[in-house]
Amino acid sequence: MYLFANATIYIGFAVAIYSLLIMTLGISSKNQKLVNSGKGGMIALFICASFAMLSMFYLLATSQFQYQYVSDYTSSELPIIYKLTALWAGNAGSLLLWTFFLTLYALMIAFSRKMKGNPMVPYISAILLANAVFFFFILGFIAKPFVLLDHTPIEGKGLNPMLQNPGMIIHPVTLYLGYVGLAVPFAFAMSALILKNVDDFWIKMTRRWTIIAWLFLSLGNIFGGQWAYEELGWGGYWAWDPVENASFMPWLTATAFLHSVMIQERKNMLKVWNISLIIVSYALTLFGTFLVRSGVLTSVHAFANSNLGLYFLIFMAIAVIGGLYVLMSRYGLLKRSVGEFSSFVSKESSFLINNLLLVGAAFAVFWGTIFPLVSEAVRGTKVTVGMPFFNKVEAPILLSMMFVMAVCPLLAWQRSTVKNLKKNFMIPAILALLGMALMVVLGIQKAWAVIGYGVIILLLITHFLEFYRGIKARRKMTKEQPLVALYRLMIRNRRRYGGYIVHLGIACITMGIIGSQNFDMETMKTVPLGGSIELKDYRLNYDRLDQKKEGINDIVYADMTVFKNGKKLGSYQPEKVFYGNWDQPSSEVAIISSWKEDLYIVLSAWEDDGKATFVVKINPMMNWLWFGSFLIVIGALFAVWNGKYGNVTPRYTGVRKEVS
Amino acid sequence: MKKKIIFRLLLAAFIFQVSFFHVEAKEFDYKSAEFKAVASQFACTCGCGQDHFECDSNTCSLTKDFKKDLVDMMNKGWDKDKIRKYYVNIYGEEILTSPEKSGFSLTAWILPFAVLAVAAAGIYFVIRKWVKRKRTDEPAAEHQNSEDEVEDEILSSIIDEERKKYL
Repeated sequence: MYLFANATIYIGFAVAIYSLLIMTLGISSKNQKLVNSGKGGMIALFICASFAMLSMFYLLATSQFQYQYVSDYTSSELPIIYKLTALWAGNAGSLLLWTFFLTLYALMIAFSRKMKGNPMVPYISAILLANAVFFFFILGFIAKPFVLLDHTPIEGKGLNPMLQNPGMIIHPVTLYLGYVGLAVPFAFAMSALILKNVDDFWIKMTRRWTIIAWLFLSLGNIFGGQWAYEELGWGGYWAWDPVENASFMPWLTATAFLHSVMIQERKNMLKVWNISLIIVSYALTLFGTFLVRSGVLTSVHAFANSNLGLYFLIFMAIAVIGGLYVLMSRYGLLKRSVGEFSSFVSKESSFLINNLLLVGAAFAVFWGTIFPLVSEAVRGTKVTVGMPFFNKVEAPILLSMMFVMAVCPLLAWQRSTVKNLKKNFMIPAILALLGMALMVVLGIQKAWAVIGYGVIILLLITHFLEFYRGIKARRKMTKEQPLVALYRLMIRNRRRYGGYIVHLGIACITMGIIGSQNFDMETMKTVPLGGSIELKDYRLNYDRLDQKKEGINDIVYADMTVFKNGKKLGSYQPEKVFYGNWDQPSSEVAIISSWKEDLYIVLSAWEDDGKATFVVKINPMMNWLWFGSFLIVIGALFAVWNGKYGNVTPRYTGVRKEVS
Repeated sequence: MKKKIIFRLLLAAFIFQVSFFHVEAKEFDYKSAEFKAVASQFACTCGCGQDHFECDSNTCSLTKDFKKDLVDMMNKGWDKDKIRKYYVNIYGEEILTSPEKSGFSLTAWILPFAVLAVAAAGIYFVIRKWVKRKRTDEPAAEHQNSEDEVEDEILSSIIDEERKKYL
């Protein structure tokens, strides 16, 4: 097994180098046979990565503790699902997963039906293969997944209990799918530039891939947030940790790209900008990995510190310099189409402002993340840049972004006149202002919350109007029933309406964020058995404290009966779990969820006489956050779904070469 | 039953050495808003990545003592700025969860907005250039409002659909 498992890595490395060389040779000598050989190599590469994954799964599932990775991250009593998912608990395993996804994506593109006969394929393949060479190199020589120990331990060290949660099964997978996914637009962009293709084909193909990567990146962050909320017991979901920032930055730049690309399609402008966004998004995924694996910054997402980060930094530098070089060498070609705008106020302009804000937000996150290093380099003082900084800096930028999002749908392409603006915005603006006034009357004092919710009201109305007008226009011509008209309107323009669904999702998420950040309440109380805690409308009766055993873990739990306005809601059991093979205990919180708010109960400590300390939190509107996340997924899937209408595979009209 | 529970808890305390889970004798709400205002200014250095308000005193002895000191200072009538000053004098700026708004650290706060402002000005001039260029090219461009645009799109999609039926 040892030989087989390691062979998959080293053969993979050799095959990756071979495929890259033969592909490049095929491209330069215009020899289809060589290109085909390279494509064959990609199949072999995928098989190698798959076997490496299967080997690791097998070793983990059968608890072969003579392997360092298995012994470091699992133990024999671990449920099988967590034994398997321990594959991405550590450095080497998660990179193996990354490599697997990379080879999978590469294979999907090289043999895609839509890309058949397309001369871009060898170039895209070569770029993705270069990535694969890097990752197989890392797996083969730096972070080796299959290392044997000198002796076989009787028991493994076990998996960090924090990671034994359904959220943790899926969070890394989706995040990596997002990270790797952004390599695909990069490969497309680079090959289009190398081929001197400045047509629309690659941009349309790339947009789909970017939405897919974006969707996974969103899911990765959402699952991460949900996991933190349920598992960490601090009642929050986003901590602006360097690693979280690292996945948020490419999300922001990819979002910017998805919008500005529309201007390129419509007006054939912003090509240099769009390609730069793709390069930056891709580079940021590598930068994130550098941050996680190098230990240069303090992060709760600690992977063992190693020099691995350095390799990622070097690879990122090569990718960025290479990307910029290709971009510069084709600058003249891209610049050939000159920009023209009809008016200051138009959808085009709003997209530019959208890009400004999204990239500005990404820059602010970047700057805050690296500022400790900058400060240390300049002054020799390492400062901490934490939540208060990011909340204060990002809130106005992202709120402005929400405003642009609210206004944009009602702006016309080309030009909006004052009359037009008045007609479109008068009612939504008045309603939003009324809403804000009502909030103030109802006693909401916090300015940020009032402005934020006002913007969201505006957004909801403008989006509703957009749907309404579409249905009205359709019915005028087809006399369909409203629901039929809505359905047909949407499926015939998936991209636009998918995008609007995503906007509504973002609005719900923002509602959740504003609610939970501004109106949360908490208390920490020590009560005797039979005592009670009161917070806002809730009363929590502390009935019992007991202990139970689950496997090798001991669980201390409290029985709480919860009342709201005197009405019984039910009995709940916040727990503290002591693990048989882990020093740190963890809190299993009890959450009573509703659309209005979550009641979040943590059993914090207890005394021998039964007295116990509880942290009780009220987190308003958390469900809106999760519901908004769900809408994002629906919207993104709706936009990329291959329906009967629209989404026709774009026709390749670029440069023809002999090899494809 | 009660005796049994207590016995079990004692046993658990012995086995898992949970003695540090003992509750403070003097009750203070470590999750109150006023304590949050003070404690969330300071970063815990135990490696948890949290501030002293969030960090759990049951698992981190560092924050346990820190919290106690904070409460003492609050009881003495010190406000959050005074407490902040006190700790910065001892530990330096590193103890804060966000950089100071003075000296070099001010750049942390200002730069993002400065960059945004410069970029916004840049965009303004670029759009102005593009608009001017368009006007010189075709001085009287017809404007189309977005309602017409939606209708156009729907019409063309219906035409497209009909066309597909026959082709």
